[in-house]
Amino acid sequence: MSRIIKVARMQLINKWTFIGIPLVILASAFLFTLAIWYLVRRGGGEGILYGGGAQAPMWYFLALGIQALTLTFPFAMAMSVSRRSFYLGTLALFSACALILAVFYYLMGLVEIATGGWGVDGRFFALQWIAENNWLTQILFYFVLMILLFMLGFFAATLYMRWRTTGVLVFTIGLGLALLGAVALITLTETWPQVGRWLAAWTAAGVTAAGAGLAVVLAGSSYLTLRKAIV
Amino acid sequence: MSETPAIATRALSKTYKDVKALDNVGLSLAPNRIYGLLGRNGAGKTTLMSILTGQNFADHGTAEIFGHAPFEHDPTLARLCFIRESQKYPDDFKVFQAFHAAALFFGNWEEELAQDLIRAFNLPVKRRIKKLSRGQLSAVGVIIGMASRADITFFDEPYLGLDAVARQIFYDRLVEDFAQHPRTIVLSSHLIDEVANLLEHVIVIDQGRIIIDAEAEELQGAAVTVTGGAQKVEEFIAGYPVIHRDALGSLSSISIRARLSEEQRDRARAQGLELTPVSLQQLVVRSTLNSQKNQEQTTERQAIK
Repeated sequence: MSRIIKVARMQLINKWTFIGIPLVILASAFLFTLAIWYLVRRGGGEGILYGGGAQAPMWYFLALGIQALTLTFPFAMAMSVSRRSFYLGTLALFSACALILAVFYYLMGLVEIATGGWGVDGRFFALQWIAENNWLTQILFYFVLMILLFMLGFFAATLYMRWRTTGVLVFTIGLGLALLGAVALITLTETWPQVGRWLAAWTAAGVTAAGAGLAVVLAGSSYLTLRKAIV
Repeated sequence: MSETPAIATRALSKTYKDVKALDNVGLSLAPNRIYGLLGRNGAGKTTLMSILTGQNFADHGTAEIFGHAPFEHDPTLARLCFIRESQKYPDDFKVFQAFHAAALFFGNWEEELAQDLIRAFNLPVKRRIKKLSRGQLSAVGVIIGMASRADITFFDEPYLGLDAVARQIFYDRLVEDFAQHPRTIVLSSHLIDEVANLLEHVIVIDQGRIIIDAEAEELQGAAVTVTGGAQKVEEFIAGYPVIHRDALGSLSSISIRARLSEEQRDRARAQGLELTPVSLQQLVVRSTLNSQKNQEQTTERQAIK
């Protein structure tokens, strides 16, 4: 058996971390939202009800990205695993988890529409902006979003592993400066209305494509950083 | 010798900011022997082992494991096992899960031996590793190192926090298992007397430099302490390199690097001089101190220039 697959199996030794906790987060976010919706209806609330709880497990992926590296990487080194095998195995496992969860979101969206928004006209999984696309775009959208968040956490953690606090500080300050520069540029050229129109014009497919591009860049940078990281 | 060495380094150097962790280290370790890597804290032992296992990088020089550079080379890495003295484990791992992972990665993993050692060390396998005491944590590392039966196993100060009984169990089991399954073992330690009997070859590192690289047998009896009347001792040791001097009134006790013949021993006895062998620990301590003194003198001389 390849060492890459063994890395994925090692990450899964504690199944609770990878499978149990995201499911608990999703289930509780969903049940809380449902309870609130019923209360709103009882209170005479009208119109479609939207809930943003579906993103809750995705943020956990950000934390997982950090954890997979800071805690498991030094142990993987002790297991005589190359950095490359560790990287590929961990990414493969996360991709599989993200794919399963993305398909699950899509299926739950179908159920949501079929049950008339869980009987209360609520929107938890099938947010209109996403649900109006074809099935592939929907699944890819969730998948890319989860991978992107995971890669963000993973990349930040590789920076920490390689250059410790200095690396993370330099990166976040640099990122802050870049954002500030962009805001300054838009303000000084008085182009906020155009920017607003540009942002509103994004489709789910466009976000998916851009997110995938960014995730690939982060994945590449993470690998190059990790190659020379020291535990 | 045509046999590929288990470990070979050439001109290996590594500097952390202003500290020379490794300074021109050249070593060749034959397979299937037990090596002692001895030295003070911060002498460069862990850095050397990290580079040998591809976990750290040298600034200069090369390191080869069975003829291959270990860095990012899975087939070579798979033959190594190196559990750090400060090894980190995933936060959510219980003890048995760490062994489960080790069984995945180490092809020669010997579950029976692992179970046997778990019992011997009284290790609570269902406890989270985070909650273990220092000694229990060391035991986890020792068990992974032993049961992995890797072609080259590094033990990095494996006894920290272990009580005397547990340490003896470790030494005994190591020798026992080594006899049945010979492999290359590098034992890093500063408890020299405790491990002296296990070692076949001794490497002493100080301030990143190798100051002793010799067979254990050669070192045993390579130095002797001569005790007696100051005058007589001085006469007796004339011409031999002195590694240490102690004086108490008219009594003198001087350690010299010498392998005395039976005839010399008889002569010493006749003059009322007492001869005691210098233990490996004493030899290492004295060599290290002398090496540091020489280093300082060189630095001073350079400063004067």
